Amino acid sequence: MNCAEVNRQIPLYCYGEVDSETEERIESHLGECLACQDELAKHRSFLELMDQRPHAADAAGADLDSLLVGCRSDLRRAMSSEAASTGGSWMDALRGLAHWHIPFRIPVGAAALVALGFYGARFTPDKFGGTRASVGDPMFSNVQSIQADASGGVQISVDEVRRHEVKGRLADPRIQELLLSAVHEENNPGVRVESIDVLKARADSEQVRQALLERLTHDPNAGVRIKALEGLKPYAGDPTVRRTLATVLQKDENPGVRVQAIDVLTTHHDDSMVGVLQDVVQRENNNYVRARLTRLLEDMKASPGTY
Amino acid sequence: MHDAAGTVSARLAAPLDEAGLIRAAQQGDQDAFERLVRAYDHSVLRIAMNLLRSPEEARDVYQEAFLKVHRNLNSFRFDCSFHTWLYRIVTNICLDHLRRRKVRKEEPTIVETSEGPVDRVTQLEAEAPHADPERQMWNRELSGKIEGALGGLTPRERTVFELRHYEGLRLRAIGEIIGTTEEAAKNCLFRATQKMRMSLEAFI
Repeated sequence: MNCAEVNRQIPLYCYGEVDSETEERIESHLGECLACQDELAKHRSFLELMDQRPHAADAAGADLDSLLVGCRSDLRRAMSSEAASTGGSWMDALRGLAHWHIPFRIPVGAAALVALGFYGARFTPDKFGGTRASVGDPMFSNVQSIQADASGGVQISVDEVRRHEVKGRLADPRIQELLLSAVHEENNPGVRVESIDVLKARADSEQVRQALLERLTHDPNAGVRIKALEGLKPYAGDPTVRRTLATVLQKDENPGVRVQAIDVLTTHHDDSMVGVLQDVVQRENNNYVRARLTRLLEDMKASPGTY
Repeated sequence: MHDAAGTVSARLAAPLDEAGLIRAAQQGDQDAFERLVRAYDHSVLRIAMNLLRSPEEARDVYQEAFLKVHRNLNSFRFDCSFHTWLYRIVTNICLDHLRRRKVRKEEPTIVETSEGPVDRVTQLEAEAPHADPERQMWNRELSGKIEGALGGLTPRERTVFELRHYEGLRLRAIGEIIGTTEEAAKNCLFRATQKMRMSLEAFI
């Protein structure tokens, strides 16, 4: 191990995050290299310095418990009001779709699920945080506190959100930053779909690709996950992308998303995926998806079973 | 070094039939859900406070996280541990808050003073009547610099560093929580420590 390699490992070594073999090699190098010993000492000083930063929770001290009481009370209230407003919604019906049995004879069923997820993302109603038309200005306001004084005056603290437009080209870092932020716009799946649609042209950037992979595995909306898959299609040969596609096939609950993942995998034949696909095909409970997987395995000259 | 991993493990080791509670909560048992909340909510609030250093935002994160858990509990399939799933939700929400701050170029707990940038949370502690004067001085001089260095990280780097250094979580778990590999979490931690060391070079 040379000095550069040791320096790269030092942060991990200090946290006990290297395996025993690497640890031995680092220590053997340290035993005979003064420069790396110095680097280790500096890193430990840095960690000690960071330890002296008070925990925000510790700094809040006695207030943390009262904050927790407030949080619990807020949560109880929010859950009660949610329960009162969402009895038997169409979202429950949508969730039920995940368990439907789609006959092999009607592959259009899978296409319908794809469309439902995709357009659902664009037209999610306001109740679920969907796009809301702007009428007044500001768009949203929240009264945070009210203080009345003896003279009859009132002081009201209001949080306001106003809309403004930002224009620029995709190459502009600020535009990219906003789009990357919009990819995580939790309350509006339509915005997530649109931002991914624009960003996919820049999927050659590691940061954009990471955002697409993250949405593919974590977005609760199937339409957003499908849009992320579209953006990753040209990178089907990338090992990280392929590993994620395998995870999608194993874990995504939406058959439409799994079908789309198969389509992306089909664009780049890779024999190392055969084992994963054989495993997935055995566990797949949707006839159409299973048939697509079987066809893909046949195209790869592999049997659908591991035998 | 702060180590909350031990706290989490201790909680998990407590006589709590977690899987049973989750299943009961999935069937709509509100008491079971409340017991789950109480088993973890202290950790959730602490993580949110440490990442965001804003009681108001931590309170929002707490509510958003547990509402999300409640809405999505039926999709929890025991593919990973419940606390990994919960921490994933919490850190994603915190990441969103941090990203929004970056876009708005905000760092709400940092204020400019005649002595340079100061962390409001630390300042509150330093100004408390019981605070040690030497520690007050130390906090005033250093905390702003440390918070400035943390503010220079990307939201992802900051989350990885906070979870590893202050929450004591293993990088493998952090990778699972933020939806990436252990290797990517290692790289992220390396970048974070390099950037911070450069910012704090004068103090090391």
